[in-house]
Amino acid sequence: MTKALEGIRVLDLTVWFQGPVSAQYLADFGAEVIKIENPKGGDQARGVRSIKALEIGDWNQYFLVINRNKKSIAIDLKKPEGLQILYRLVEKSDVFLSNMSPAFLDKAGLSYAKLSEINPSLIYATNTGYGRFGDVSKPSFDMTVQALTGIMARLGEPGQPPIYLGMGSGDAYGGIMSAFGIMLALYQRNRTGKGQCLDASLYGAQLYLAAPYLQAFLAGDKRCALQQSRRDVPNPLWNLYPSREKWIYLCEPNDDERFALLCQALGEGALASDTRFATAPGRAANNVALIAALEEATVRRSHLEWMAAFEALGLVASPINNLADVIVDQQAWQNNYFMKAYCEEVKREVDVRGLPVALSKTPGQINTLGPELGQDTEILMMDLLQYEWDEIEALKAAGAIP
Amino acid sequence: MSAALDDVVVLDLTTTFSAAMSAAFLADFGARVIRLDLLPGARTHKHSAVGGCPGGRRDGDEGSWNHEADLIHRNKQSIALNAGSEQGRQLLGELLASADVLITDWQLDELAALGLDYAGAAALRPDIIFARVSGFGPSGPDRDLPPIDELAAARTGMMPIVQQPGEPPVYTGAGAMHATVLLAFGIITALVHRQNTGEGQQVDTSLFAANMYGASLDLQAFLAIGHGDRLLNPISRLDVSNPMSGALYPSADGRWVTLTMPDTDRWWPGLAKAVGIDPDDERFNSHDKRCETNRLALIEVLEAGFQKQPGAHWREVFHAGQMSADVIEQFDYPANDPQVYANRYILALDHPSYGPVKTLGFPIFMSESPARLHSLAPCVGQHSGSVLNELLGYSEDAIYQFTKEGVIAQ
Repeated sequence: MTKALEGIRVLDLTVWFQGPVSAQYLADFGAEVIKIENPKGGDQARGVRSIKALEIGDWNQYFLVINRNKKSIAIDLKKPEGLQILYRLVEKSDVFLSNMSPAFLDKAGLSYAKLSEINPSLIYATNTGYGRFGDVSKPSFDMTVQALTGIMARLGEPGQPPIYLGMGSGDAYGGIMSAFGIMLALYQRNRTGKGQCLDASLYGAQLYLAAPYLQAFLAGDKRCALQQSRRDVPNPLWNLYPSREKWIYLCEPNDDERFALLCQALGEGALASDTRFATAPGRAANNVALIAALEEATVRRSHLEWMAAFEALGLVASPINNLADVIVDQQAWQNNYFMKAYCEEVKREVDVRGLPVALSKTPGQINTLGPELGQDTEILMMDLLQYEWDEIEALKAAGAIP
Repeated sequence: MSAALDDVVVLDLTTTFSAAMSAAFLADFGARVIRLDLLPGARTHKHSAVGGCPGGRRDGDEGSWNHEADLIHRNKQSIALNAGSEQGRQLLGELLASADVLITDWQLDELAALGLDYAGAAALRPDIIFARVSGFGPSGPDRDLPPIDELAAARTGMMPIVQQPGEPPVYTGAGAMHATVLLAFGIITALVHRQNTGEGQQVDTSLFAANMYGASLDLQAFLAIGHGDRLLNPISRLDVSNPMSGALYPSADGRWVTLTMPDTDRWWPGLAKAVGIDPDDERFNSHDKRCETNRLALIEVLEAGFQKQPGAHWREVFHAGQMSADVIEQFDYPANDPQVYANRYILALDHPSYGPVKTLGFPIFMSESPARLHSLAPCVGQHSGSVLNELLGYSEDAIYQFTKEGVIAQ
């Protein structure tokens, strides 16, 4: 099968989540991604053994999934000989990606100025915490950056603690943002031959993630910054309702015909004829009373019964599923949002996150899960960088490579 | 300075926030994005654009700033045409033939009715990139469900677990914005493939997929482990797996602090001193004690410790110790943060009708082809004439005739 990014070589000097997932998107579509790792342990994510205090099982899905389709070369960049190997890789590559801090990269001899001198058409991408400009310098992790954006503070019922969007949620977003930026630069370079440097930060990405609400706030709607209760949303027909089992998300516009259908599905003739709720403005003005009345009806039966009733009348709604429901959701499997991949670590097929973007003629692929630390070092040194065997031996002796 | 996409013509046939924003994102980087404002029937009244697009009202007719339209339609042009007329359909076909990308979130049957499904589009422009945000993906039993983010989020498994125990499920809205960027990434990937081979194709991302990818770690963990109450139910903040990572504590003035210090050995001495605990306290002097044996006791101690001082105090302490921790803020924080303006994540600008305003900026810095704000949302049909002239070569006379006959509006 054809690959969209065949022939693109990416140097991936990233650790943990945001950077690796950015390069993963490129690797899925056929770029040759070479992960550059410290010979002493490599990416710290290789050490993840539990998630939410649960043992992660017999394979490290944190590391292996976001580093799939990649090669690994182990180089000690602190050694001058090691740095020379990296420079030789830069000569032969299209993209350099790192989520180390710019200060670290400068000090390590890996600044844009230095690398673009070696390869003027290089695309040099960083993933910072708070952006390339300004004077903020502090450790950045997904949740501590998310905390600053205002996204967390507006979620949940009033009086409840703020809500984190999910483990790695901001990293995942920063990762796709970075991949998009790299693709823009590649597209332009194909036309002009020129490289450039770019940055996609966690902070910038998560502010963009807040767009609908942050923009409204900037325009003066102060309520957008605050927690809102589901008990007084302006349109009671577009809201969350508890059933005897799972919650249900009802997604209907506030109009008379849809309201009549809802009352019919719920078997609530009294609501249908209640004059307070007879018009759209009435339902909006008496939203608290209507939501309470609807809830009183919905808690009586299970979500399965309600969904059957809603579907029969063409009402749009969904039960609030949990992860156990999702992993058996045929819609996810049939669209390759979940896929099977062979895991060397445990010598069997495992279930992994698949491909959220479908390209009809050049679909993404999962060929291998994450590489072993340094597994491709020698072959890359010989085939790609054309080192002689005695040079490789000398570099090993110098400790530049394992 | 050039723009990354200044040779790309995009047709924007979208109704949802996330798909419209995806087209605007390409426009930010220089693509010529033409919004197709289709007029229903023979009506040519300015306000009659179809679609429930949140930014569809672009003339500020309530006298207030339509900030949403100025975000999701910025840098775009608008052509208003009557696709119900034969000539309108003809023009639509000619526009498609001169476009590189079509972005849509319409249902497949609606597109087919207009001849704008992939088969129809590719017949007019064989190398078109046909990009669509769907609700649940191009295959499977639910492929025709509408693109409503709440429905997709409800199916993704995160809504029942992000809140505190006993609280209702939470809709975050993150999935829709994830779809915006996934689609943009897919489009450029397809454009790069076309640069190399001349081949166009379909690109699809769904709100379902986008929600799943925002939830990637929990979801992947459950896929791999296949069980676990801590992945199926909310975890109380007073039962957090690592008291020093992913934890939330209220401060004296009610503002919350959050810590991400997974490597507790490294951070414990500094944090302990800051909250007034002896770093050598025997209950907490190893990672194992902090996260396993005495985890709940440590949560209690930290809970009490952080409540002794207000949020501002903790921010100073975290900053002085370069700790991976912060105070949880509301939108007023980024709205006034110099770091945000230094990086153009939010822009301050002088709106032609509403004066000085702030609007969302650009999340990506590019040294040679930075994103730019050229124009705010167009009025419906504002560029009908210029698009027909510049892109399709129609004369002023012909355009006048189209307008008179109600084929286009301007």
